[in-house]
Amino acid sequence: MGNKHLHNGLLAFIVAGCMAVAGCTKEPPPDPNTITITFKHSKLFGDPAALQTLIKEFEREHQGIVFHTSKEPGIRVKDETLPSSSDEQHQFYVINLEAGSSDFDVFAIDVIWVAEFAKAGWLRDLSKLLPAQDREEFFRGPVEAVTLDDRVYAIPWFIDAGVLYYRKDLLAKYGGVPPPRTWGKLVRIAADIPKHDIWQGKQYEGLVCNVLEYLWSSGGAVLEDGKVVIDSPENREALKVMVDLVRTYRVTPDLVTTLTEEPSREIFGRGKAIFMRNWPYAWRLLEQDGSPVKGKVGMTVLPHFPKHPSAATLGGWQLAVNKNSKHPEAAEQFVAFMTSAKAQKHLGLTVGFQPTRKALYEDAKLLAAQPALAELYKIFQRARPRPVSPYYVLLSQAMQSEFSAALAGVKTPEEALSALQSQMEQILKRHK
Amino acid sequence: MGRLVSIPSTWELLVRDSRPALFVLPAGLIIGAITVYPILYVLWLSLHERLLIGNVSRFIGLENFARLWNDARFWNALGNTLYFTSVSVALEVVLGLAIAMLLHRAFKGKGFMRAIVLIPWAIPTVVAAKMWEWMYNGDFGVFNYLLGAHINWLGSAAWALNAAIFLDVWKTTPFVALLLMAGLHTIPKELYQAAKVDGASPWVTFLRVTLPLLRPLLLVVLIFRTIDAFRVFDTIYVLTGGGPGNTTETLSIYAYKVLFQTLQFGYGSTLAVTVFFLVGLITLVYVRALRAGTT
Repeated sequence: MGNKHLHNGLLAFIVAGCMAVAGCTKEPPPDPNTITITFKHSKLFGDPAALQTLIKEFEREHQGIVFHTSKEPGIRVKDETLPSSSDEQHQFYVINLEAGSSDFDVFAIDVIWVAEFAKAGWLRDLSKLLPAQDREEFFRGPVEAVTLDDRVYAIPWFIDAGVLYYRKDLLAKYGGVPPPRTWGKLVRIAADIPKHDIWQGKQYEGLVCNVLEYLWSSGGAVLEDGKVVIDSPENREALKVMVDLVRTYRVTPDLVTTLTEEPSREIFGRGKAIFMRNWPYAWRLLEQDGSPVKGKVGMTVLPHFPKHPSAATLGGWQLAVNKNSKHPEAAEQFVAFMTSAKAQKHLGLTVGFQPTRKALYEDAKLLAAQPALAELYKIFQRARPRPVSPYYVLLSQAMQSEFSAALAGVKTPEEALSALQSQMEQILKRHK
Repeated sequence: MGRLVSIPSTWELLVRDSRPALFVLPAGLIIGAITVYPILYVLWLSLHERLLIGNVSRFIGLENFARLWNDARFWNALGNTLYFTSVSVALEVVLGLAIAMLLHRAFKGKGFMRAIVLIPWAIPTVVAAKMWEWMYNGDFGVFNYLLGAHINWLGSAAWALNAAIFLDVWKTTPFVALLLMAGLHTIPKELYQAAKVDGASPWVTFLRVTLPLLRPLLLVVLIFRTIDAFRVFDTIYVLTGGGPGNTTETLSIYAYKVLFQTLQFGYGSTLAVTVFFLVGLITLVYVRALRAGTT
């Protein structure tokens, strides 16, 4: 008994000793002069180890780095994840940046926030990292979204865009027709089979992404040279088609007004629909073992109206540097590293990341790991940013309300768009 | 002869008189810091144009209130809030009273039933709302399955707000029943016996004995429920987020979107101040009614 107590006591002593000198961990004690930068981002899909590997590699490569003003023994990167809700992230960034916080140096921002943050003066000008001649290496959409008055405020890191999923097997049965190129054709096929066309119609940001794809593919626009042009004949026609999908052609069930991405994928995944608009992430989930539609799903560009090109709403994440960062040069180095072809490829191979650099879509190894990238390349080339405005969140609030009102039949498309025109004009006027 | 009673000096009097105030001071300071100050600050903010986006901050007097007056979205939200509040509170009080009277009678398994009835109230609102969101699902939800119908509960303008009311009634009726049950206990049995002797029917007994004696408690329940329902946020935010087409957007949801999604602190505060005054007004009306009943 006494012996056992002694034994336990000794063990506790050793453990405590280890913890005190930290001699039992593998890492060498950090150089007290090492600088630390903090990287804020939302949780990535898949294995978090993929990002850690890259961070370690960055730290290894940057030992004893020499900057213009200082020589640093090394850079350590602390990565911190934010809640997955986009609203909460936006709120976090705005509140902290407005208060002049320097608690984080590098952070991942949604395409729709770049203009807002840049206008507020919260982002470091990164034009140096992406000179004009290098911009060609990236997809056009994200570059457009990060550029304000010819200055670049963030580097595109991960690209996303709306795609059309279709059931290969059902189209084959229907006479082997190719996936529809126009909205009219989509309606005809879905009505004939008959199976649903599913998209995201709940009142939220995703609805704006969906509606814009119809508006743009009819030749419509939202802003032109800073002027609101949403109440146009093209847009009225396009929005009317969306309403008709539900009310007239009935190829889209009326419960679409409750759908976000995941419930739509769920319906399509159970085989209840022939078409679905969603983001590329759904592909892997639809094709995984046990999925009822495994092997039967195709992915292509969204349809369009006659005589106009198809359009996809751009999504994705960009890396920016906090204007108040205490280590701006180290932060820039980290952004350059993370957005490099090497890092993007690593994330593409490990967690199914969609790179923003066009050249990677010809990389044999990456294409073998993610065969869908070949088709996605065509889609990402058409990806268009939502209106690039510092007041996007305000404009989006108005669009969400009015688009939803049209879909729910509270207003006609004409009423909704004319209300939207004046609301958006007022927002821009108020914030001149 | 010395004086028998020493006359206190002015200083002593002052200390003695202010002693109660001194004892209350710490509590007063805390309440001041966490309640009064924020309220005053929000009032002050409501007189400003203050936007985090674009970093605007300037005093504009009552301009925000003028904007509110002309804001169709505000009136829509106010209408939704009033509809939600009146319908849900009315249903809750009627059903709650019925359940309370049922559970007040002696029967076997009464204790068990009382515990069961409380379950909806014990579930956190967000969890309950998430559960109901699944049950309302237009595709595979249990409600459509049981009814054999295809009702778009949360996605149609006709149903969405009513669907939120059903959930609120399910969740809060137990609370009302519990309070009213306590009230029923306080009514002396002799009164019922006397009513019986006088040959009063159960309905007359209810109207002449139960209801008048429950009146003060009913008013308290109404105050609680009305204020709560008027500020409804989580139930609706989880179910519909205010959609479709703002048909379920209540004042609190609109205020949240203005304050925390678009970060317009000035105008958002104007909305919050308006809700504050409206709630104050409702309380005032009820308290008046309560006083009129007791005197």
